Amino acid sequence: MTEARDICLRVENVGMRFGGLRALDDVSFEVERGTILGLIGPNGSGKTTMMNVVSGVYKPTSGRALFEGKRIADFPTHEVCHLGIARTFQVVKPFASLTVRENVAVGAMYGRFGAKRSGKDAFARTDELLESVGLARVAGRPASDLTIPDRKRLEVAKALALDPELLLLDEVMAGLNHTEVDEALHLLRAVNERGVTLIVVEHLMKAIMSISRRVVVLAEGKKIAEGLPLEVTSSPAVIEAYLGARFAKRQQQERERQT
Amino acid sequence: MTGKRWVFISTLAIMGLLLFVPSFHNDYINLTFRNILMYAAMSYGWNLIGGYTGYVSFGNVAFFGIGAYCSAVLSKTGVDNVFADVGLALVVCALFAIVVGLPILRLRGHYFGIATLGVALGLTDLANNLDFVGGSGGLNLKQADQAHFYLYYYAMWAVTLVCMLATFFIARSKLGYAFVAIRENEEAAQVLGISPTRYKVIAWALGGMMGGAAGAVFAPANGFVDPGTAFAVDNNVFPIAMAILGGMGTASGPFIGALLLSGVNEILQEKFLWLHSLFFGAIIVLIVVFLPRGLMYLVGLRGGVRRWLSDLRAFRV
Repeated sequence: MTEARDICLRVENVGMRFGGLRALDDVSFEVERGTILGLIGPNGSGKTTMMNVVSGVYKPTSGRALFEGKRIADFPTHEVCHLGIARTFQVVKPFASLTVRENVAVGAMYGRFGAKRSGKDAFARTDELLESVGLARVAGRPASDLTIPDRKRLEVAKALALDPELLLLDEVMAGLNHTEVDEALHLLRAVNERGVTLIVVEHLMKAIMSISRRVVVLAEGKKIAEGLPLEVTSSPAVIEAYLGARFAKRQQQERERQT
Repeated sequence: MTGKRWVFISTLAIMGLLLFVPSFHNDYINLTFRNILMYAAMSYGWNLIGGYTGYVSFGNVAFFGIGAYCSAVLSKTGVDNVFADVGLALVVCALFAIVVGLPILRLRGHYFGIATLGVALGLTDLANNLDFVGGSGGLNLKQADQAHFYLYYYAMWAVTLVCMLATFFIARSKLGYAFVAIRENEEAAQVLGISPTRYKVIAWALGGMMGGAAGAVFAPANGFVDPGTAFAVDNNVFPIAMAILGGMGTASGPFIGALLLSGVNEILQEKFLWLHSLFFGAIIVLIVVFLPRGLMYLVGLRGGVRRWLSDLRAFRV
């Protein structure tokens, strides 16, 4: 590419070991500001580990992740959101005894602009957010009473309350039905249009293909493909990782026969 | 989280009534209610760390003891002023909480509780062996005359009222939300920008100051301090049981719990002089089994027995 790209996140040769397990092995990619990056891969391929590295929960054992030129591992976990990085958890983690509104308000109180906000301001910001993600109708309910789609919405609302520049979404669409997935995609596009860069980790190929500008594919901790959604899905390495080596080989043979 | 407003207003009303206890001119009643207030203040202290941040401390008696010894030392140097006593206790307890809390509050979950046990035991041993504070023989303070006897009642009342109001306002402030977020999910709290160690230390220090203030008023009122009274096991266990009975993580719970549990204890002591501790212990066990979230939970319960049973199940294996 000839024009200078505006990169906000740079992942450089990141490796993560847990004892003998290599969860991530020399993974590099970049995320352009204002875009949506899809991060996909089969179970156990290291997607969530990568989310944990970028959100500062794990310090990588090799390589580094830079956000706006700052090494994320240099900051304690609770300060990463002050840099402008927010995340959702694959296994949702609501504050069960608090109401939906209070859950989101905690983010608004302690996030990037939290220090400048009084409790009252935080709740005002929260009410705007609840409206925009469609949770206003359950604002006063305890978080433990929510349905699965609403819990996912709550995760997104809590992350948005941090006023992030980069938002990491870890399987927010898992367990949702067809209409709910469409609603979620609509919400994510709206968030992106407000200028938030997104990294979307997802199992659902269809969902991720329709929303991502670029896609990175992980398998067994390694990056096996990167590019436009369509390029990536036709890559033999990706098909092999998802559907097995035999299937990929057969497809390859069929393709050769046709040409 | 904010609970029922009328409950807190009723609690304040009962607190207002306790202002008239000295007008009975009965030393026994006066002493009993001063003890209730003292336990309530300690229970509020425990409640901030144990109830709000969810870090169960078994060593909060340390602060009570420190407060008591602060007053004893001041009395020894000729200062006999309850404001000075409380002021010194607040400063020393806050410093002690920060110095000890910074290392042990980095521990997650149960390890913190175990470490706090060590803190209480260590201080008891220290008090036993420091000649400066009278060692195991203890220290006599200036004996309280009748006028002072009432003064200390009002002082304890004021300390408890401040603890109660402070808890109420902290729970509704940004600070309170940080505490509860840590209790509900420390990892999620961290990702939302909350430094767990910092806020746990703040909760512990504020709670420690509450216990310390209670100790600082107790010592001159009692006229005598030794390691056995300052670091008494009862002073460690009662405040926890009271907070659990009333409702952990609420602004009314510790006071209601102190009132009820002290009442029960008085009755048991009168009826079963020898076995009252056994019955008292059994009551605590029953509370934990059937009412793990305390009476404040019952007040807010909608859905009757069915909801109660299903919530109880959530606490079972």
